[in-house]
Parts: sequence; structure tokens; C-alpha cells
Amino acid sequence: MKIQINGRWYKAFEGEMVLDVLRREKIDVPALCAHEAVEPFGSCRLCMVEITHENWGGWKGNVTSCLYPVEDKLRVTTHTPKINELRKMILNLLLARCPNAPEIQKLAEEYGVTITDFVPRPDADDCILCGLCTRVCAEMGFYAISIVGRGYGREVGTPLNEAPPDCTGCLACVNICPTHCIKYEDVGNVRKIWDREFELVPCKRCGKTIITREFADRLIKDKNLPEDYFDLCDDCKRDDIAKNMSKLVIWQDKKEEVKR
Amino acid sequence: MIKRLLVTPSLCIGCRTCELACSLTHQENGKPGRSRIYPLEVGKEQFVPVVCLQCDDPACVKSCPVGALALEESTGYIRLSYEKCIKCRACVAACPFGCSLVDEDQDKIVKCDLCEGNPACARFCPTKALVYK
Repeated sequence: MKIQINGRWYKAFEGEMVLDVLRREKIDVPALCAHEAVEPFGSCRLCMVEITHENWGGWKGNVTSCLYPVEDKLRVTTHTPKINELRKMILNLLLARCPNAPEIQKLAEEYGVTITDFVPRPDADDCILCGLCTRVCAEMGFYAISIVGRGYGREVGTPLNEAPPDCTGCLACVNICPTHCIKYEDVGNVRKIWDREFELVPCKRCGKTIITREFADRLIKDKNLPEDYFDLCDDCKRDDIAKNMSKLVIWQDKKEEVKR
Repeated sequence: MIKRLLVTPSLCIGCRTCELACSLTHQENGKPGRSRIYPLEVGKEQFVPVVCLQCDDPACVKSCPVGALALEESTGYIRLSYEKCIKCRACVAACPFGCSLVDEDQDKIVKCDLCEGNPACARFCPTKALVYK
């Protein structure tokens, strides 16, 4: 299957979305809420492109490329005056919601929006409400956070605004957030996120921490791993394998062997 | 046939050329300590280069909650898709050999991918302790 993007033909595969092809071919289209780990959702609307087809009798449409499946001989244009106008308006609105988010500021500047035409939110945070964090949490199988409320009061929150019982402190939401607005803190062996404290599993030998106890337990349960799987850190495990391997090696005089 | 990275510890002289080759291939800064291969000293003048073994039944792939890691049957190496990775560090904790690592500077997971079929460490190893065949 082939699709035409900005006048050039590219290979595409059945079941892909248009944005997948755009990203693979490194064609610059802004998209904040699309991540390969989760299903496309289409909440930021920035990946809008114009599509048309030779069989459509000249009809053209503006669609979100993350949600539009590819079809043979589809013609995609990523930057038309109309599309740029749409993106400008979206960024204008996003800038009113998150005036302090560097990612939004940078993207808006690229499209020529430096100051929002709307009234910036006085109690602004950096969340654009794209829902990536809640979707990745669901993808992990935890469903600890969700988007709550409507309209002006819409936000990402935990059940009943209390510490979420299903959260494991895996930091998937923190790492996936396009504007880096979810905050967490690691102090010693304690991780604080979503108003809850988690114990980080310390390495039994050196005390280095990698993941939380809750996340380790969850992995052991879900993936049928042995109980002692997360007792040692990666550094100590490497030392162990080096020692174990050295027992199997017949050490010979190096100079002789290298010569050979 | 699938090629493997063959490690012969008795030939390793601990020169750490492999570390340098690895970090220069994969990263901009080329810090030797940020490589995917570690020649560890186990005795006097005895070194074991520890590198991802590309297991047949990999714990990292099993533990990945979003399927960013996948064992490619045709080439035999475990591939990490950076587009899919959510940096939850499950693979780092799960690898029984400690060969899935975190690069704190660049904030990403690093794992040996055999340079997608042409490992730099094997090319630069002066004593043939690392051979890709």
C-alpha cells in the first residue's frame, strides 16, 4: 500500500494510522497526545492534516492523523493555510490554559503565536488534559488515575481525590506526560506521588533502588516471576554473573592465547 | 543462521575499548561509563565482559508492560522501541544479568541491541575476546 504525503509517495501498511507513517518518515507534524504505547485518542487535535483521494471527486477533509487509518492512494497534506490556521487556534487555546508550559510555548512560537488572544487561566498548571497519563495507567492495568470533572474544573485526579489505592508508583504517567507536569519525589527509599508514599525496593547487597515494592509485587503476580526476582540491583547482578562466568573459564596465559 | 556475540573471557585484557566503542556508537557524549558492555575485573588480570546475552526467553520482554521490548526472531536480538518505552524500569529490575540499564543523563533506558546487526564492540576488540559470528 502506498500513500502520498506532501506530493511524495510513501509505503504504508494495513491497519496503520496516518500519523504512524508521518512519524516513521520523520515528517514534522505536531502531536502531543499520541504515544506508541497506547491506543490513539485524538484529544490534542494538533496532528490535523488535509486528506483527499482520487476517487473522492475532489472532496477534501481535515482529520486528526492519529485516528485516520491509511488507505491505498490516500493523499495527505500536512501544512495547508487552513490546517495552519486550525493549529494556530488550538495552540492559542492551549496557551491560555497552560501559559507557563515550555513545550506549549515553544510549539506556539513555531506557529507564530506568542501571546494568547484569550484570558490566560489565573490558576494555571501545565496539564493540557490530553489524557495520556490516564491512558497509559489503564494500559499498565492499574486504572489508578482518571480525568474527573467537566468544563473549567476538568482535571486529572485520583478516586475521590484521595491517595489512589491501585497506584503502584511506576512513574509511567510522569514519564509519558508531554508537558512534564506530574510531580513526584524520591527521598531515600520513599517515593511520593499522587499524595501517596511508596517504598522503593532496596538492593539486598548495596541498597540501590530501582522500582517500588508495589510495582515489583504486581509484576511478580502478573507475569509469574519468582519471589526473589527484584532482590538485587542491576550492578550487583552484573557482578554476580561476572563471578559465575569466571568460574567456568579456563584462564590461560594471555600472551600465548592472544598470539594464537 | 542467527549470529551471536561470542564472549571469550580468557582473551579479555580489560582495555575497555569495547566500552568506548559502545558509548561512541550510541551516544553523543561517548562516556565510557555509559556503555552497554562492562568488562568487570574478577581476579588479577582476569576480566569478564558482561553484556546482554539476548536470551531466548527474555525476562525484560516478559516484564515490559507495554510491549516496547521484543525479541526479533529473524535476527535474534532484543529490540527496544524508544517510541513505545514509558521508562517504568521494569526491565532494569527484571533482567537477571543486570544488562538493561538506565541512562540518568539522557533519561532513557539503554540496552544492547547488537548495533542492529554489526556490534561496534566486536569490531574494535583487539584480542578477539568479543566476536560476532
